[in-house]
Amino acid sequence: MEPIDDDEPLDSPADSLALIARERANLVRDIAPDPRWMYWPWGFAWLFGFGLLFLRFGPDGRVFVDLPAWLPLTVLALLLITAGVITGVVGARSALQTRGPSSRQGLMYGLTWSIAFFGLSTLFAQFGDLLPDEKAALLWAGGMVALAGALHMAGGAIWNDRQLFILGAWTSLTNVAGIFAGPGWHSLIVATAGGGGMLLFGLVGRPRSR
Amino acid sequence: MTDGTELDPVIHAQARLRVVSALSVLREEDRVTFPRLQDSLRMTAGNLSVHLRKLEDAGYVEVTKTHQGRTPATFVRLTRRGRLAFEEYQEALRALLNPSSSLEETS
Repeated sequence: MEPIDDDEPLDSPADSLALIARERANLVRDIAPDPRWMYWPWGFAWLFGFGLLFLRFGPDGRVFVDLPAWLPLTVLALLLITAGVITGVVGARSALQTRGPSSRQGLMYGLTWSIAFFGLSTLFAQFGDLLPDEKAALLWAGGMVALAGALHMAGGAIWNDRQLFILGAWTSLTNVAGIFAGPGWHSLIVATAGGGGMLLFGLVGRPRSR
Repeated sequence: MTDGTELDPVIHAQARLRVVSALSVLREEDRVTFPRLQDSLRMTAGNLSVHLRKLEDAGYVEVTKTHQGRTPATFVRLTRRGRLAFEEYQEALRALLNPSSSLEETS
């Protein structure tokens, strides 16, 4: 679209209302972080990370693909760290476009994720040696996914965003189903339902205009 | 202020209507940086400055110059008065539009 530097009024009220709607949608889209950058890194991390876990540590100790035992968790950890860095940078860059209560809210929400995950992993690290490997893995994965689901639901409540709330509820409930299904199945469910949910959310969450 | 037939001259100009429309997205007390606003509106910096000054004179926007670290940063927000004027302007537009559109529907 060409730049308009016009001091004249528009001819018709309908055109004016359309102009108002367009400029509002443009600024909404320009100041919000692109949901693809905020959700796809996590969706891919869950899909591939937990997917590898499922293939190597399947239900009832089955091995679908004979990968080195260290590989799936290492890949998952690296993908999660990458996702954390990407969303941190994209979120911070977006927050610098505005100043005021909304950007403070965003900062607090971002810090909540970091601090909450730090707290939960500190707790879980105490139990790593006490539980059999399978159960320890389920504790870590189930706990972290439950926290992610809860924070997405809280985000939905904070910004009155129904889609984000649904993503959180979906993540939480499929996580519970996976925990009941047991080790192995949990990885598969988190990879497909959880990871897939975030990939889908990144796609539909984008405001459209221009 | 408006009786549905007269439109606020300050924001009747297309460029200023665009500025106020974009700013109306922000929640009260939220500000946006000048470069982001300029980018979103696809205006030149000079042109945006001119229109912001007119809006500022009318008390519709507030322009704050501050610093982000060492670099100077300019933030813009819509004042309560600006928001009210914008809402009334929209009401006036709808009032102008509605009689004709209801006639079209009945014909």
